Amino acid sequence: MKPVIGVTMGETAGIGPEIIAKLCAQNRLRPYCRPVLIGDVRVLTAAQKIAKVDFTFRVVDSIDGIEWEGPIPIIDLKNIDPAAVQMGTLDAKSGKATGDTLVKGLELLQSGKIEGLTFAPLNKAGLKKGGHEFSDEHKMFAHYLKWDKPFGEINVLDKLWTSRVTSHIPISEVAKNLTVDNILRAVGLANATLIRTGYDKPRIAVSALNPHAGESGLCGREEIDIIAPAVQTAASQGMNVAGPFSADTVFINAFKGMYDVVVTMYHDQGQIAMKLMGFQFGVTVTGGMPYPIATPAHGTAFDIAGRGVANIDATERAVMIASKMAAFKVK
Amino acid sequence: MKNNSGRRPLIGITMGDGAGVGPEIIVKALTDKETYDYCRPLIIGDKGIMERAVSVVKAPVTVSGISDISEARFIFGTLDVLDLANLPADLPFSRVDGRAGKAAYEFIERAVKMALDGEIDAIATAPLNKEALSQGGCKYPGHTEILAALSGTKDYAMMLVSGPLKVIHVCTHVSMRKACDLITKERVLRIIKLAGETLRKMGITSPRIAVAGFNAHSGEGGLFGTEEINEIIPAIEESLKLGLAVTGPVPPDTVFYRAVIKKEFDIVVVMYHDQGHIPIKLLGFETGVNVTVGLPFIRTSVDHGTAFDIAGKGIADSRSMSEAIRLAATMADAGPDKGK
Repeated sequence: MKPVIGVTMGETAGIGPEIIAKLCAQNRLRPYCRPVLIGDVRVLTAAQKIAKVDFTFRVVDSIDGIEWEGPIPIIDLKNIDPAAVQMGTLDAKSGKATGDTLVKGLELLQSGKIEGLTFAPLNKAGLKKGGHEFSDEHKMFAHYLKWDKPFGEINVLDKLWTSRVTSHIPISEVAKNLTVDNILRAVGLANATLIRTGYDKPRIAVSALNPHAGESGLCGREEIDIIAPAVQTAASQGMNVAGPFSADTVFINAFKGMYDVVVTMYHDQGQIAMKLMGFQFGVTVTGGMPYPIATPAHGTAFDIAGRGVANIDATERAVMIASKMAAFKVK
Repeated sequence: MKNNSGRRPLIGITMGDGAGVGPEIIVKALTDKETYDYCRPLIIGDKGIMERAVSVVKAPVTVSGISDISEARFIFGTLDVLDLANLPADLPFSRVDGRAGKAAYEFIERAVKMALDGEIDAIATAPLNKEALSQGGCKYPGHTEILAALSGTKDYAMMLVSGPLKVIHVCTHVSMRKACDLITKERVLRIIKLAGETLRKMGITSPRIAVAGFNAHSGEGGLFGTEEINEIIPAIEESLKLGLAVTGPVPPDTVFYRAVIKKEFDIVVVMYHDQGHIPIKLLGFETGVNVTVGLPFIRTSVDHGTAFDIAGKGIADSRSMSEAIRLAATMADAGPDKGK
C-alpha cells in the first residue's frame, strides 16, 4: 500500500495553495502516495478559484477511517481566512497559521498517522512575524520533534542530491567553519539520508573549497589540511566517498551519474549548479530526521502569487521523494 | 555569423605548445571553409609542426610557410603559417618540453608585436603548458600574464563565453579566503565597465549587465555578509550613473538561471572563480571561449589545456578553437577600427 503523506498548502499569501489545488485537480499526488491535505478549507476553496480548477474534497476530523479511494481528504484546521490575507504580502496571522499547520503535521508524523510530510512554500520572515521564532524551518522541525541528532538541508534534483557543510553564513566565514568534524557530519548526513531513501551504498563526492581544488596548495590549503583528511576518515568508516574535487567539474560528473550526492562547502556551490540545471524541479529534504520531510526548493513567489501561473513540478517531486522515503521505511 | 562590414579581419592564431593538441585543433578549425568567409586566419607558429598536425588530422589542406605577412594569401585549403622555425619536427607528443614552452612564448611575443603594430586585428590563442613554459625560461605563469606584461597592461580581467552565457570575473585564481579581500567597490566598478565595453565590441549595443552577489542570497541585507552593502551596491550605483544597464546584486544561485533560461541579461559579473566556472562548465565544456579584456588588442582563447593524454591522435575536439577564432573576428569587426 502507498504511504500516507500529509501535504500542507504553505504560506496563504504565496503560491502554495494554488499549486496544491492544481496538483489535486490533475491527480498528481495519488500516483505516489495516499495524500491527506492539512490546512484551512477556505484556503483550498480560494485556491481552486485562483488555479481555475474544480475538484471535490472531503473534510475529515482524523486520519483514521479515511476512505482513500474517495475525494481528496483534508483535515480542516480552521486557522486562517484567506479573505483577510493580501496575496503577495507578509502577514503575521498568515505566518502564524503556516507555522501552526506545520506543527500539526509534525504531530501527525510523531503519532504515526502520516508517514511523511510535504509542505508547500513558506516564508521564513512570515513565520517569524507569526511568532515561530526559528532561523529556518529545519530547526523548527528539530525543536518540535525533540531531535538532537545531526540534521540539515539537502537539495535534490532528479537523481542528484547535495548537502552542505556551511549554509547561511558569510563567505568570509566559510573557511574558518570548515573542520574535519563539520565535514564528516555533512558527509554522514548525506550518507544516512540516501540510505534512508533506499540507496544501498550512496556514491558520495566531496567538493573542494578553492579554485582547482587549491592547486596543490597554491590557491588555498583547506583541501590539504582539512577536506582530504575528512574524506579519508569517512572512507575509513566504510562510506563510499571520494574527493576533494574541483567545484567546477564535480557537478559535470555528478549530473552524468557518477555520484549520487555531492557534499558542498558552502551554500552557492551546490545551489548555483542545481538551480541552473533545474530551477523548477528542485526539492529540499530535511536530512537526518526520523521522518521524511520534503518541500519544493523554490519560495512563495510573492510576485506571481494569486495569478494561477505558478509551476507545480517541484511540489509534485517533493511529494514523490517524501513518498519514496516513506515507502522504503515501511519495507 | 558572418561579419557585417564585408571586411575580413586578420586573426593571428598562436600555435601554443607544439606537444599538445593546439596544432591539431587549429588545423581542424581551418578545415572549415566558413572560417575563411568571416576572417583571414594567420597561424603564428612552426611550419614543421603544423605540417605534422595536418597529417595527424588527415586534413585536405597544405601548409604554406611564410616569413612576412605580405606573403599570406588567406585562401581556403592553404594554411598560412608565419614560420618562426623554432621547433624540431620530431618534437615528442604529450611531454612537458622546455623547447615547446620557449617556442610557445615566442609565438605570443610575435603576435603581441603584430597586434600592437596594427598588422593583425586580433589574437586567438591555442593552449600552452605552464610547466613547459617555465622550463623554457619564461618568468610568467601563463598566457594572460605574458600578454599583460608585453602590452604594459595592469588592469585586465577574464571573460568566459559558453553558448548562451557570458561571465566576467572580479577575481579568479586566489583562495576563497583571499577572494574576500579583493571584492572592492573600485574593482567591481572596473569590471562592470569592462563588461560593457567588451560586449559593445561584440556587437551588443546596449548590454544588460547582471552583477552577482558575493554571499548566499546576496547577503540577505547584511545577515550573511556585508560585501554587498559596502562594496557591490555602491559600485552598481556608480555604474548606473554612467548610464550602464546594470542589475544587482542578484543572488548567485538565481542569476545564471535568469541569464540563461529567462534571457534577462547579456553578461554576469561574477565575484570569484567557481561562481563563474560552475555554470560555464555545466553549460558546455567543449564550446567555451575565454576573452582577456582590458588589453589594448582583442584576445580570445580556448578554454581547455594541451590535453597531453590525446595529443597526436587527431581526436581532439576543435569546437572551442573554432569559437575562439570566430569570436575574435566578430569583436574585430564590431570594434572601433571597423571598416579600416
